[in-house]
Amino acid sequence: MQATLETSRVPAAWIRIVHLLTTPRAARLTAPILIIVTWQLVAPLIGSTLLPMPIDVLEEFIDLAIEGTVWSAFAISFVRLGIGLALAVVIGVVVGLLLGLSPRAEAFAHDFLVIGLTFPYLIWGIIVSMWFGFGDAGPILVVFIAAVPYVIVNMAEGVRDAPRDLIDMARSYDAPRLRVIRQVVVPSLSPFFFAALRYGLANGWKGLVLAEVFAATSGAGWEIAGMRDIGNASGVVAYALYFAFFSILVERLVFGRLSDWVFRWRPRRPEAARAVNA
Amino acid sequence: MGRRGLSANAARPPIDRRATRSGYVLPRVSTGLSRLLAYAIFLLGWQALSTFVFPPFILPSPVLVAQEMVSIVESGQFLTHFLATIGRLFVGFAIAFVLGAAIGIAMGRSAYWREFFSDYIMLTLTTPGLVFALICAMFFGLSPLGPVVAIILTAMPHVTINVYEGVRAIPRDLLDMAHVYEVSRPARVRNVLVPAIAPYLFTAARYGFAIAWKITALTELFGSASGVGFQIRTEFLLFSMRGVLAWALFLVIFAIVMERFVLMRMERRFFRWRRQAFA
Repeated sequence: MQATLETSRVPAAWIRIVHLLTTPRAARLTAPILIIVTWQLVAPLIGSTLLPMPIDVLEEFIDLAIEGTVWSAFAISFVRLGIGLALAVVIGVVVGLLLGLSPRAEAFAHDFLVIGLTFPYLIWGIIVSMWFGFGDAGPILVVFIAAVPYVIVNMAEGVRDAPRDLIDMARSYDAPRLRVIRQVVVPSLSPFFFAALRYGLANGWKGLVLAEVFAATSGAGWEIAGMRDIGNASGVVAYALYFAFFSILVERLVFGRLSDWVFRWRPRRPEAARAVNA
Repeated sequence: MGRRGLSANAARPPIDRRATRSGYVLPRVSTGLSRLLAYAIFLLGWQALSTFVFPPFILPSPVLVAQEMVSIVESGQFLTHFLATIGRLFVGFAIAFVLGAAIGIAMGRSAYWREFFSDYIMLTLTTPGLVFALICAMFFGLSPLGPVVAIILTAMPHVTINVYEGVRAIPRDLLDMAHVYEVSRPARVRNVLVPAIAPYLFTAARYGFAIAWKITALTELFGSASGVGFQIRTEFLLFSMRGVLAWALFLVIFAIVMERFVLMRMERRFFRWRRQAFA
């Protein structure tokens, strides 16, 4: 009797561990661990200096943080991103509202918006580098070019999505114009504005780092391309991890928490501007 | 990442009328004249700027770029490099699509796989393509494997997320009914799963493709000795704006034709029955 209890206790603990490992919560941990383990196992098999070991990458990652070059590189890039995005928002909102109000203006711009959404940022990066050489102007222009179609399309969509019936009701009750704008138009537009910011930021960022490779001598895009040029493989991967780190930061904090909080009253998120770019 | 985070990145199913006709949601107004006017102003403006304001090495006129394109085709370079790019593109895209769809279905069916892949998906969606292009160009050198792996890494999450949305949108009652009537697994896949996610598969293909051709050119630019990306780099190093624009236009025209005419036609043909059913 005693013996059977003893033997059954071991598998029970074992089962509990297996249970723990198969929960969805554990899966998020399993995935990165699996990647690192495979990486560690496969890297020596290939035996190339071009495929760095995880430990080398970690070392490089920490070195970069201590040296501080990575922070200044990203800071330079974020300033460029901010300026380009601000320009894109100001101009994009005006144009977007116009296109939302006038079907003819929309028809006029439609095909160019499509081209603007699909034209590769790589080409823009090369073009601005030939136009402006190395500096801030080229990358900022590419941020603008990359972000502005997303702002325009989302704002135009927001105008079309404005609740006609609410506006009509406000009119029939003789609500003052300013109040209608403040209490009906702006609240219905604001989620689209947020979507415009989000897509503008994401694509502006992608355009920026590409532009920095060709048209700058500083910034995150330039640094990671430089790592490749000198053949520092672990440096490239370590830099890639910083890119991932900042992506998570922005995605989780700004677009997770903040937008959830801003739109806690709204049941549905707007889903305009569905084009994608690398 | 929770469900909302994922769905915020996914495309709407193409069955939305407005979304079927263009990549993003905008009703197309048939004011043909406005559109024609836009093209005329664009081309004339370009021509005027290049003749009167900028020297041709800054802004070559559209005529010059067209001549360059013709001479590239005549020299035979077009065929060699374009075919090299297209080959890599289709191999990479096919693998990305199959893998991405499989992962998307797994994520839609089980919470475990959803959590397993969610961080990977979010990271690859938000990280610039440049990062993947550099890493692949570095690891694989000049071999065609570089672009193919880069396509798989970047296009797959876009496929996955759209297929995942499709699986999540399968009506619960259909699944329950299939369960109650003890429908066999293959029959369930054929009669419930596939028809439900078919429109999402097309959207997935479109979005995946939009990323795939760009990342192909980008990876070729950093690590390849052939292909459109390699040619763009060569022209850039020669400081030939004309050459850069000519090669870029080949690629953009090809992509727009593929996205708008081939993929959308296929989609429309495939769903003709639906439109009639709902008309």
